[in-house]
Amino acid sequence: MNTLADMIWIELRKAIRSRMPLWTALGSLLMPLGIAFLIFVARNPQVSQKLGLVSAKANLIAYSATDWPAYLVLSAEIIAAGGFILFVLIVSWIFGREFVDGTLKDMLAVPVSRLSILLAKFIVMAIWSAVLTALLFIFSLLMGALIKLPGGSISVILQGTLLLQVTTLLAITVAIPFALLASLGRGYLLPIGLAFLVMILTNIVAILGWGEYFPWAVPGLYAEGKVALTAVSYWIVFLTGLLGLIGTYLWWKLADQNR
Amino acid sequence: MNWSIETENLGKRYGDVRAVEHLSLRVAEGEIYAFLGLNGAGKTTTIRMLLGMIQPATGFAKVLDTVVRLGCREPWEAVGYLVEIPHCYPELSVYENLEVARRLHPGTPRQAVSRIMERLGLAAYANRRAGTLSQGNAQRLGLSKALLHSPKLLFLDEPANGLDPAGIVEIRELLLELTREQGVTVFMSSHILAEVSRLAQKIGIIHKGSLIQELNRDELERNRKRRLLLRTRDVEHARRSLTSAGREPQLLGDGTIELKDTSSVEHPDDVNRMLVDAGTPPVQLLVEEEELERYFLRLIGMDGARNEYSR
Repeated sequence: MNTLADMIWIELRKAIRSRMPLWTALGSLLMPLGIAFLIFVARNPQVSQKLGLVSAKANLIAYSATDWPAYLVLSAEIIAAGGFILFVLIVSWIFGREFVDGTLKDMLAVPVSRLSILLAKFIVMAIWSAVLTALLFIFSLLMGALIKLPGGSISVILQGTLLLQVTTLLAITVAIPFALLASLGRGYLLPIGLAFLVMILTNIVAILGWGEYFPWAVPGLYAEGKVALTAVSYWIVFLTGLLGLIGTYLWWKLADQNR
Repeated sequence: MNWSIETENLGKRYGDVRAVEHLSLRVAEGEIYAFLGLNGAGKTTTIRMLLGMIQPATGFAKVLDTVVRLGCREPWEAVGYLVEIPHCYPELSVYENLEVARRLHPGTPRQAVSRIMERLGLAAYANRRAGTLSQGNAQRLGLSKALLHSPKLLFLDEPANGLDPAGIVEIRELLLELTREQGVTVFMSSHILAEVSRLAQKIGIIHKGSLIQELNRDELERNRKRRLLLRTRDVEHARRSLTSAGREPQLLGDGTIELKDTSSVEHPDDVNRMLVDAGTPPVQLLVEEEELERYFLRLIGMDGARNEYSR
């Protein structure tokens, strides 16, 4: 247990000292800022007239988020898509950096199990992702208050919080296999490239109506709340995360490390 | 004899390339073993197999009496290593990098970090970001990480890389001290024979993945070719007299006469007397030992036409 705490200390220290937390935090703040801006534009015709194309987009958003409940659903949907990309960035950095910086070799022939080292990495990924989501959520609430959305109440906010938490959990879980991709690709390119491909696939799969069986579509469907998801979807998400964990562990344990 | 490292028929292939083949060697406890070879000879692949980073295709390796297996925790508690370029976390300070290494070796006391920084001359850089270190100091940081937890066995891949001459001497002294006073075993790789010949008790020479010779320091001295070089005023006359005395003088391009037979090399005084008696006394007489690097190249068959020893 002490060893795991030491490994978590190492991972946290590496993360904090890098600029990555700052950049990902900025990334997470940009999303609610953009949405609030578009809603603001849509509701103020004198501004939207000056902005042409932006106003068309703004109207689209504004119609889907006219009050607090709709706005919170929209925030959760952002987590499911934008948040997912952010979580992939985080996990790719945590794992990929050891290859990019050549530091992997220094954690291979050590009297600490690979499991402790990997668990610490995943724990830090979860903490980091959760902190970002909390930041994003608080910022979304502030933005919502700032643009004076109607229909807000304690229970609406609480419900929105729950929705956001579950969506975050689902999105983090389906981001786990990208640790394996960062290890296989020995860097950032493979996981981040594939994350965008997955986003495209998610849209195609959703159009075909198979979204509930595609793990990366489930967080978005859950946030949207239009399709009643069954336990099968949650199991698929859970198994995707689990396979990501096991795959990463096996790769770190069994693959030749000659770089 | 206690062996710190034992390998049996160790081998690794990458596609058609045989990186390492039939490698069987033993390193005694407390010994400095130098693993010598050109770039790409298989040194690093061997070290990585010994450290359980690469799965051997054939054979096995035993380190500190433990059979090395991929991804295992044993026997690394008592092993320190520096493989290839000394990488570190560039945004962490020197101190933090060492603290990371300390926590990767549970049970290493906190003071070990400042002690090793002091010992390797990094104390002044403790709070400097490791990414801004000079190559020499980065090498010192790499060595510090290897030595931090007072290992019994050290694997050092080209430890003198990036160090200035003073640094090289310093590291040599440090390694000798560690073996003498703490009985530490050192397995080091190098591509410079002169660098290791003063340090290692035993030298293994690897070429194209195979161990082609293992020798101790005395054998190294014995195996190096020697020759007697002499100059006289009448080269032709001297050569004829030496030939009629049963020697085999060779005339080198610059008018120097070369003798390679054992009796000439071991008794230059006899040669001197012969020449004096023949009325063409030498003006210069020199027993020259083959340079280490040339000896090394001769061993691996890469001495080429430039080497006058092989004529």
